[in-house]
Amino acid sequence: MTSRPPTLREKRRYVLVRIDPAGIVLDAKELYYAVNDAVASLWGDAAAARVHAAVVAVEGEFAVVRCRRGTERELAIALITVTSCNGERIALRTLATSGTIESLKELIGPHQENIPASPLQPEEYTVDGRTVVVSHCSGQKVDVIEKGFKNATRFFLTTEDLEDI
Amino acid sequence: MKITDACVHPRPSGDSSVRRMALEAHELGFDSLIAIDTPACEYGGVEVFSGVEIPLALTQQEVTSTVKHSRETGAFVLVQAGDNGRNRMVLGMRGVHVLAGIHDTDRYAFDHVTAKMAADNGVAIDISLAPLISEREVPRQRVLDRYYDLMLLYRRFEFPLVISSHARSVLEMRSVREFSALASVIGLDIPDVEKALAYTGGIQSPHSPVRVIQ
Repeated sequence: MTSRPPTLREKRRYVLVRIDPAGIVLDAKELYYAVNDAVASLWGDAAAARVHAAVVAVEGEFAVVRCRRGTERELAIALITVTSCNGERIALRTLATSGTIESLKELIGPHQENIPASPLQPEEYTVDGRTVVVSHCSGQKVDVIEKGFKNATRFFLTTEDLEDI
Repeated sequence: MKITDACVHPRPSGDSSVRRMALEAHELGFDSLIAIDTPACEYGGVEVFSGVEIPLALTQQEVTSTVKHSRETGAFVLVQAGDNGRNRMVLGMRGVHVLAGIHDTDRYAFDHVTAKMAADNGVAIDISLAPLISEREVPRQRVLDRYYDLMLLYRRFEFPLVISSHARSVLEMRSVREFSALASVIGLDIPDVEKALAYTGGIQSPHSPVRVIQ
């Protein structure tokens, strides 16, 4: 099968998103299902076909989502409504849109450098009567997770909150 | 002009502390938050206003006493909307700032009379983005339908609006740009969104007719 000449290929746009909470590991296929479900649910199947969303890369806490040119708005709004993926609660924060994946991958570096990494505090804390451990810490932000349970509750605190506990 | 998320629920109702929500709000482009059942404070450059949310279950007498108490403490008062009679009662009450949860009510709960009362008394109507984000299929369609109807009344009567995330977690908070994008789905354009996000300043110094003081 020969590929189409460039003038006959459809134009695409790529959206860079950050996956929250930090430290969560997502499979690209599962994220694709979540994004596609969000697009189809909000805009309907016909619009979802027009948007033609696909997750082309997941790199750590960043993902690149593809769509047809001219449908970036629909995709961006649908991405706001993604609340879970494979049973994990997530939020997708749209950072940039571009015509090439390469330029978005160049943006990932500066975004990662913007987050000052803090050493993890190994201590255990008690939040709402539950024993929790620090799962992620960046700057003043501290995510703690209930100890010893699968699908455990996650709390989003700050370093000052931990001092107060 | 302060850009405000009109309602968030920090711990213990949610899973995020008010400080963390303030940090997140700052990154998302907000200047202030109304946090339910939380003392007022300032953190990370974000002003946190204390808010009280009055649930639907309370009787008229209980609503009146809670509003009176909140007026003394200076907290923002959000009252959950109910049927038409309750909404009229709430909109006529001094000290109520926001009527919330219109999306949960039936079509007749908020009509042209209540819309005019809201405009006359300066009570803002809350557009909660939470059901637009978290609901799917028929429940979301119902919410969209209620908001389309609300927009029709808004264009006619121009009552104040506020937009809120009703976030119980930092994962449920959205940026100012995302607020605008979601609001565009229900037909709110950017100037309307800006007005709604900045309305908290108006609540602090409400418009009232000029009075001659002798």
